[in-house]
Amino acid sequence: MKSKHMIYIVGLLSAAFAMLNVANAADEIVPPWQHAVQPAEGAKDSPLHDPMLLYNAGGLDGRVAVIGIPSFRTYRHIPVGVDLHEPVYGGLAHGNVNGTPDGKFLYVNDKGANTIGEINLQTGMLQRLIAMPFPYGIHHIALSPYGKYLYSTGEYTGKMAKTEISTGKTQVIDWGPSPSAPDYLDVGKANSPSEGFIYSGNYYHSTVGVFSANPFKLVKEIPVGKNPHGTNVIPEGTKVIVADKLSATMSVIDTKKMAVMKVFPTCAGPLHNVMDVYNKDGGAYRAGIDSPDGLTSKYAYQSCFVADANVKIDLKKLEVVDEIPTHYRTGHIAISADNSYVMALNKFSTGLFSPTGVVYPVNHELWDAREDSPTYGKTLKIMPVDGEPHNAKSIMSYLVKDWTMGQATNDNVGLLGAGGKAMQLEPAHKAKVVQYFIPKEHEKPGVREVNGVKEIHVKAFSYGYIPRQIRVNKGDKVRLFVTNIDRAAGITKNPDVTMGFTIYGAYGLRTNVDLPRGITAVSEFTADIAGEYEVFCQHFCGPLHLEMRATFFVDDPAKGASTLAVGEYEEAQQLPGLLEEGLLTIAERVQGFKD
Amino acid sequence: MKNNKLKICLAAMAGLGVVMMASTPAVAAAKRCTAGGVKVECPTQSDADLKKAADAYEAEANNMAEGKSGSTYGISVFDYLTGVGKRAADGSATAGESGYNSKHAGDTGGRHTELWDRAANPAKGEAVYNQWTNNWSPSFKETLVQGADPNEGKQWYYTYCIACHGWTLQGNGPAAVELDPRPRTLTKGSYMNKKTNLELFTVIKGGGLAVDLSASMPDWGNIMQDQDIWNVVAWIRAMQDVKPPKSVDDYLAPKSTFKPIAGDVNPLNAGKSDDFADAQELLEASVSGRDGGALSGGGYVEGGLRKKPADVADKVSKGY
Repeated sequence: MKSKHMIYIVGLLSAAFAMLNVANAADEIVPPWQHAVQPAEGAKDSPLHDPMLLYNAGGLDGRVAVIGIPSFRTYRHIPVGVDLHEPVYGGLAHGNVNGTPDGKFLYVNDKGANTIGEINLQTGMLQRLIAMPFPYGIHHIALSPYGKYLYSTGEYTGKMAKTEISTGKTQVIDWGPSPSAPDYLDVGKANSPSEGFIYSGNYYHSTVGVFSANPFKLVKEIPVGKNPHGTNVIPEGTKVIVADKLSATMSVIDTKKMAVMKVFPTCAGPLHNVMDVYNKDGGAYRAGIDSPDGLTSKYAYQSCFVADANVKIDLKKLEVVDEIPTHYRTGHIAISADNSYVMALNKFSTGLFSPTGVVYPVNHELWDAREDSPTYGKTLKIMPVDGEPHNAKSIMSYLVKDWTMGQATNDNVGLLGAGGKAMQLEPAHKAKVVQYFIPKEHEKPGVREVNGVKEIHVKAFSYGYIPRQIRVNKGDKVRLFVTNIDRAAGITKNPDVTMGFTIYGAYGLRTNVDLPRGITAVSEFTADIAGEYEVFCQHFCGPLHLEMRATFFVDDPAKGASTLAVGEYEEAQQLPGLLEEGLLTIAERVQGFKD
Repeated sequence: MKNNKLKICLAAMAGLGVVMMASTPAVAAAKRCTAGGVKVECPTQSDADLKKAADAYEAEANNMAEGKSGSTYGISVFDYLTGVGKRAADGSATAGESGYNSKHAGDTGGRHTELWDRAANPAKGEAVYNQWTNNWSPSFKETLVQGADPNEGKQWYYTYCIACHGWTLQGNGPAAVELDPRPRTLTKGSYMNKKTNLELFTVIKGGGLAVDLSASMPDWGNIMQDQDIWNVVAWIRAMQDVKPPKSVDDYLAPKSTFKPIAGDVNPLNAGKSDDFADAQELLEASVSGRDGGALSGGGYVEGGLRKKPADVADKVSKGY
């Protein structure tokens, strides 16, 4: 931000504070965001501006939704790819999960396509794709403290990666032994014992791996509860909080001692954590206005998938202090940029909304987290979402400038960046594939050759596929039949459970099939790229949704059975059908590059 | 295979895109009702029982969608502010609806989930209540498979197996009715007690096709570590002829009819067993997620709550 803008906003805010102090009656609760947005001088109408925005990685719809807070209106969808998981704002990564953004870029990883997309927040468009190496299987991403690198987890190969954002160059390291599934990660905070380290859960190891940033390597594995998922460094950088899915606990790691300092029960099926963030004067942190140094937190909020609740955790006492019921099955959880609201990203809406097709919508639920509010702990808004609320991060609206009235004429640096060029990428729609639904089939599972076509019959249930290993030959015409045989979502008993079937990577766009109950989904394509590719469920079906996996092998008879070491992985990295050649930044494996 | 008593029939796993051919149905059916070379009663549930079990399961789930009950935990109170949640069709108010979690609303109950209340007021046997599965759960102090922990195995079973094999291993999970052949009732001692540990290990790690049985039994070897699989074997052994419990006390002390088979493979002696080595070679040959390098083969990661087999031996710590 230019300094004159900074002065302008700070001045405006001071005026606002003074005004509010006068206007603020004893019982009136003024949320912190109201300090940030003021109508123009002399304005008499009240425009429908939202003071905050929520960028939501839409999971299986391959798009990022931009949602207003607190209105919960969806402003737009930004097409990115196949299955989007984690949005991360560029800038600095101090503070809480929302980071300390500069308003320039949003990075989002695509688990289906094995890529990281770069969205220009000012143009609102996908600008660049960074293809991760194969085989990899990207699960989540996190930004380095000063915004130069993105760290990611390779869930399907037991690998970790460090990607330099400016060049797209990627260094990959192993986290063995197999089975190894690095899932959710976070990066240590600047000026704290955690600086220079990366922390990642591993649901097969039931540990948190600690990695040094430079050299990029595994330093230690810390045992935590069973099947850990959400792994987050608090703004102070002194603790890492971990959601232990199957132990129903939170493990807290002391970053200085690199050991667990406390484990305490939280709720059934804990999945993810967020925490609030305050500036060094104790006010809600405002990106671009407050110093990003010395940020602190008071409460963490954890999503409880099985219990249908969010719990609130006092980060000083390390104990649960409240529980808020949600509707239903919260997966990820988000917090508004001003700490006022917590958003439960619910994976089921059983019975709540009007149906609009064979796939029932899931929802975002916004509840009031302001302790002094009369509606504290209550749901204020709930909205059905297109795709999925995979994970969402909030940003102050003032960081995204208005370019709609000719402002770019005089300030194209802010809009297009220093190079003056912002690509507009549009990922191709389902390419080289025919998909349709048929009545629920009762064929036995397995691979059979019928009239020269390899017919693959798969049954999906909570939490697995039958068969779990599928082999075809390179060049085979494939007709894939997938049937959801669940009566309800495993033990969590949601009758509207929709399953998914996505082969990650080159086959991502050719599968990504929705599996509502009572219908068989069919996908026809040619298996033209050899390799071993993991299959995953892209519809969040339950707490063990991540563990619902299978493997698709495309064997090249000339090269022998495909493995993680044998396959046409360079070709797979080009993602045919996803984008035209030349628009991709192809990552290279570069060992040992320096910071 | 040097020991005939332990002999298991390992089918060659699929390689190089060869379409897998199962045995003829008649052969497979005959084999399914054989244990230790002896013909026994085939341990599966009747079609009628499976349909009944699946329907009951579905009805319970549908009640949630239709507003006849809460969610699994009996929550989802109605909220006047947003109109979210369920309320009685006749318009009558129910305890706890609206105002939940509001310090200002003066509510007297129902503001938290059932689990929250359960933690505040533990009932008898709460120690064996499994939060994740929302159910009472057996608990063991000893193991019938040296070096393997049935309490750990139970967790894996609840993760991957209940959909077909059912809550109490009766072979009546909600998806059982969808499978042909039907999934095995895993508590039938007359059948299961004749199976060797290695046979059970092999069918879990490599799936039904590895032992020429049902293609519907998936292979779990790429995502469960060998020790995890052994723990599941210990859990199955601990539940032989255990009837579905009727009281909390039944959960606290399940009595299994299984007696360890002399000379059988277990996690403590598996490293010295030729039979185990033979089975591993075939099973590992086609497992995904292996690249021939450091990640290969049946590795074991200590950590989390995983224990070393030597530390488990006969006694296991009670818990889950």
